[in-house]
Amino acid sequence: MENPVKIALAGEGGQGVQSVAGIMVEAANDSGKEALYIPNFGVEQRGGVSVAFCQIGDEKIGSPKFKKADLVIALSDRAVRRTRQYADQNTVYLYDASIKGVEDGLPQEAKKVMAIPALEIAKKELHPRVFNVIIMGAAIEATKIVGMEQAKKAVEKRLGYKFVQNPKLRELNFKALEEGAELVRAQEA
Amino acid sequence: MSMPAVELEAKTQRKQAKPIEGVKKVFMTGNESVAWAALAAGAEIMYGYPITPQNEIMHYWTRLAPRYGKQFLQTEDEISAGFTTCGGVLAGKRAFTATAGPGNILMQESMSMAEMLRLPTVVIVQQRGGPSTATVIYSQQETTLTCFGGNGEGLRIVYSSSSHQDLFDYTIKAFNTAWKYRFPTFVLGDGYQAKMRESLHIYDPAAKGIKMEKTVPFVGQEGMPGVDRAPAHLRNTFNTEEELLEVITGYVAEYQKIAPEIIEYEVIETADAEIVLVAHGIVARAAWAAVRALRNKGVRAGFFRPITLRPFPAEQLRKAARTAKKLLVAESAQGQLLKLVQEALYGETVPIATYLMPGQGITAEELSDYVMELRSNKTNREGGSR
Repeated sequence: MENPVKIALAGEGGQGVQSVAGIMVEAANDSGKEALYIPNFGVEQRGGVSVAFCQIGDEKIGSPKFKKADLVIALSDRAVRRTRQYADQNTVYLYDASIKGVEDGLPQEAKKVMAIPALEIAKKELHPRVFNVIIMGAAIEATKIVGMEQAKKAVEKRLGYKFVQNPKLRELNFKALEEGAELVRAQEA
Repeated sequence: MSMPAVELEAKTQRKQAKPIEGVKKVFMTGNESVAWAALAAGAEIMYGYPITPQNEIMHYWTRLAPRYGKQFLQTEDEISAGFTTCGGVLAGKRAFTATAGPGNILMQESMSMAEMLRLPTVVIVQQRGGPSTATVIYSQQETTLTCFGGNGEGLRIVYSSSSHQDLFDYTIKAFNTAWKYRFPTFVLGDGYQAKMRESLHIYDPAAKGIKMEKTVPFVGQEGMPGVDRAPAHLRNTFNTEEELLEVITGYVAEYQKIAPEIIEYEVIETADAEIVLVAHGIVARAAWAAVRALRNKGVRAGFFRPITLRPFPAEQLRKAARTAKKLLVAESAQGQLLKLVQEALYGETVPIATYLMPGQGITAEELSDYVMELRSNKTNREGGSR
């Protein structure tokens, strides 16, 4: 992918796109890369589409926002419509397979459009609360910005205090990361 | 009532503890880096009133300050935050405040008084969209306001930061510039810088050989005025036009004299440039990235960034402009930097193209595309403007 890699993550408020973006750029920073993350923020606190703009590269990052992303991940129908503008022929576009009725909103020109059943797996196999961690796993697999071990370290750094109380949560989060990566690998194979 | 000995000792220890030892690489928001910089600079008190996107400077300061025996006062509005900052300075405290947008407007009265009384106030501004409430997000529309917002001559120092490292470095520097020269000093950031996360090095100023200027109270000093010491004569009211003229003429002369010591700028690859991109603050990052991309395509592009907007690096810009075929001024405002550039270049003949996006961010890609467009003459207006 390009350097820096540009990622736009979008979802409904509460889906956890901002926290997972934060963990992802921290993983990149800890591995010695340059990273920049900026959330979109406005006057609405609830009920808006939340977009996280992330860039990861080898040198200091230029402008904080960008016009076109290398990877777009959209997690709701509104997020699909909102993020259409960030996709061009170089973009890998991921959206959750549970989103219906957005076929007309998907970027036809994108390099690749993939529907991944992250929400379904979160609900049926893991836990709805690790949905965003599955998405992080998918994002790092699609972009190779950091390795799986580095990603796990960053999750540990952020959520370690919760894992101390309940070590099963660690297992659950790491599993979610791996499942997310696997979803992308399966699509790419 | 006196404080128990144990408590007093703990308080003294807190005051002496260094917030940062040596140099440390961190990854944080711009607001957080400002709070750390103020602590590292030995700021003693922050006065403030909440406004987005500046809020977290207050939040981090209130979280960190008590650990180091520092203080915070939340005032009832920005008028009060500005005046209490003046009050803190009068008492000899390294005091500061932070604001944005409409809050910046309300602080103009107190900062105008700081100009008149020559008070070393420090204000961090994180620009948001304007006019009025507009957006809480981002702009460069507070450039004119921050440089010239008072009723007076704009006798202020304004540093425009373009990264978290700048926010940290120039917040520390702002305290020293203010206390050394006694002109109100501003660090002009923006909502993007406030909220984004990126890496920077934070440090104890001593570890970099930076000595903090001594602070002294302006009022309430010991001894008999006129006998043991010079009287503190702080005056912002004058009876005659002549009196005022004399004082202001003196201030202006002093400001002009110290300007060369304060002026800072960045200039890269302008010697052979056919087009020089001029930008400040965060837009300078896009401009610099665009220049690199253009150079890779074989386009001879150069870069000029004023770091101080007041005083403005006019001579340095003229020098860069003299060899260029064209300038391109880019900013997230409708020509506020442009005015400073035009004033600096008065009499020069170099054409100035513009890329003006009030209240919206500017990316490297759009700037390099626009330069290519200008070169292919698709833009038919004089110099080229958008």
